[in-house]
Amino acid sequence: MIRVALVGNAGIGSQDHQNSMYRPAFERHPRFELVDTAEEAEVLSIAVPLAERGTAVADAIRAGKHVLADKPLAATLAEATEIERLAAAHGVVVVPAHHQRFGAALRSAIAAVRAGRVGLPWNVQCDFVVAGGDPAPTGELVNFGLYPVDVLRALLGLEVHRVHATGTPDLVTLLLDHEHGVTSTVVCGRVPALRDVPPGGLAVHRYRISGSHGVLAVDARKPALQVRTTDTFGPVWTGPGTVDVLLDVLAAGIAAGRAALGPHDAVQAQRVIEAAQRSMAVGQPVAIGQPVETGE
Amino acid sequence: MDRIGIVLVGAGFIADAHSGAIDADPRATLIGIVDADPARAAAFARKQGGIRYAPDLDTALRWPGVDAVILCTPNDTHAPLGLAVATAGKHLLVEKPLATTLADAHRLADAFEAADRVLVAAHTHRFYDYGRAVKQTISSGAIGRPVLVRLAILGGWIWPDWSAWVGDPERSGGHALHNGVHLLDLATWWLGGEPTGVYARGRKQTAAELRIYDYLEMVVSYADGATAVCEMSRAHRPGSLAQRELLVAGTAGIVEQGWDGESSLVFGEAGTTTVPAAGGNGFAAQLGAWLDAIGGAAPAMPVADAVRAVALGVAVEESIATGKPVAVTA
Ligand SMILES: NC(=O)c1ccc[n+]([C@@H]2O[C@H](COP(=O)([O-])OP(=O)(O)OC[C@H]3O[C@@H](n4cnc5c(N)ncnc54)[C@H](O)[C@@H]3O)[C@@H](O)[C@H]2O)c1
Repeated sequence: MIRVALVGNAGIGSQDHQNSMYRPAFERHPRFELVDTAEEAEVLSIAVPLAERGTAVADAIRAGKHVLADKPLAATLAEATEIERLAAAHGVVVVPAHHQRFGAALRSAIAAVRAGRVGLPWNVQCDFVVAGGDPAPTGELVNFGLYPVDVLRALLGLEVHRVHATGTPDLVTLLLDHEHGVTSTVVCGRVPALRDVPPGGLAVHRYRISGSHGVLAVDARKPALQVRTTDTFGPVWTGPGTVDVLLDVLAAGIAAGRAALGPHDAVQAQRVIEAAQRSMAVGQPVAIGQPVETGE
Repeated sequence: MDRIGIVLVGAGFIADAHSGAIDADPRATLIGIVDADPARAAAFARKQGGIRYAPDLDTALRWPGVDAVILCTPNDTHAPLGLAVATAGKHLLVEKPLATTLADAHRLADAFEAADRVLVAAHTHRFYDYGRAVKQTISSGAIGRPVLVRLAILGGWIWPDWSAWVGDPERSGGHALHNGVHLLDLATWWLGGEPTGVYARGRKQTAAELRIYDYLEMVVSYADGATAVCEMSRAHRPGSLAQRELLVAGTAGIVEQGWDGESSLVFGEAGTTTVPAAGGNGFAAQLGAWLDAIGGAAPAMPVADAVRAVALGVAVEESIATGKPVAVTA
């Protein structure tokens, strides 16, 4: 069993992902057990306020702990980059909670695209629209913009080199230019509460991947049942939980010394989010420089 | 009441949709057909039971009983032929785009204003069942103030050969003017806002040698902060693909119609295909609205909106060429 200590129960605004997501997932996971203090733990599950997160993660790495970090990994690109460097230097596994890429439909979509099922992809369209729940005081771009950006990276295996963002921080449209002339458009944000969508649940979450030889349409809210009753009408998710798969990845990463999802993914997502913020500020597309060499 | 006598100009692909609408409307009658290709004009006239035909518009404008013209010729001919219709004092239903340049669009608007005749551009999607249903849903207040439109019209077929006028940006105005205007107008009509800027990307996906973009991503920003994301494609694979998808988000709800939103599915030996539900005839509704306007009603497709669609299409082409957002002033 891998020993885990929970550090913090806060996030952006009113978030408590530690108790709503990570604690129950650790409790039910066969490879982990919760312990009371950081000293006893091999892994720290860190969900402290965003402003303190980068420091808390860096301190944990220096103490030789593996880390599961709430998303975003850190408040700034500089902090995320430093975390990537530190994790490599200390030989620990840091997994940022980009758990949306582990949705059951998305996992098979990623495999299908990477196996050439639609030929060479040339465009992706994505909607990531949450309904209801507490709006993030940072704006939703900072809160969950990284989810679809991370999924795109997993789908395409391509970095973003130019970002144009428009709309509002609560419902933003990102126009991304990737390597090899591939383009994508992401609508990401929060709309008001909708009947039968649990507060903060995804009202729309889909991807259309267009390729030289076909189109893949992914409704990432599947697999699900449609359940209708006298009072309700809605989907009931039937796939494995995305956070459970995230913990599988963490456990496998600790065993292997390197996880399938790591700080570099957080760094690359953060680059896009910060470029999008700059683009919103100046009303122009913003170029992203070459990735910083980390020696990894 | 006398029927409104109509001359159809351009006996090509879309002409049948217009003549069918005329046949179905008791207020209108088709007087004759004009096509620069005399054989086409003659064949169309025969098919219509022997109506008049001519190879040029000027001849047709002198036929007795002509009150109005429907222009379905290549896009670059809309301005010169449309101005001739205004000069002759006839009403005009002109296929989209109103014109291929903003200057020509204004010229046409001014000419019909001066002649006191009705000018309507055929933004047919406003008259399709889905287009009207979305507009009505938004107007009912059900979703609050609309803040986002996502509209995709995706096809997998490219125009027949290298000589097609549609593939020539000089003749078609480019794909943003040719098909893009459908979506740019529809999204703007749904949102009811004032467009302020456009950012667009285009691809030449089917062939590197294309002179027009067969795939367009067009993002319009509005004065009230709303955004429209419009995709127009003739670039998709398989070639048989034909899909429309829409999502409108408002301050109190969302409207969605997926690619299968009005179709049944056939799982056949050749693959899976859609069987779209029967529905209203958009071209008939469009004709009816034009005839209403000729009769004095407010036009369902105002001239200013058609000019604005051209301005948006021009801005899209400019944004693709420069890679920058372009400010829009209609
Ligand atoms: N509203 C819609 O949904 C819709 C759909 C398709 C096409 N259109 C529009 O309809 C128009 C025609 O498109 P199409 O696909 O039918 O084209 P087409 O090429 O099939 O037909 C055009 C016809 O016009 C004739 N012509 C060309 N120049 C002429 C001139 N100066 N005088 C008389 N005739 C002339 C040609 O000989 C041809 O028969 C275009 O403006 C297009 O944008 C609209």
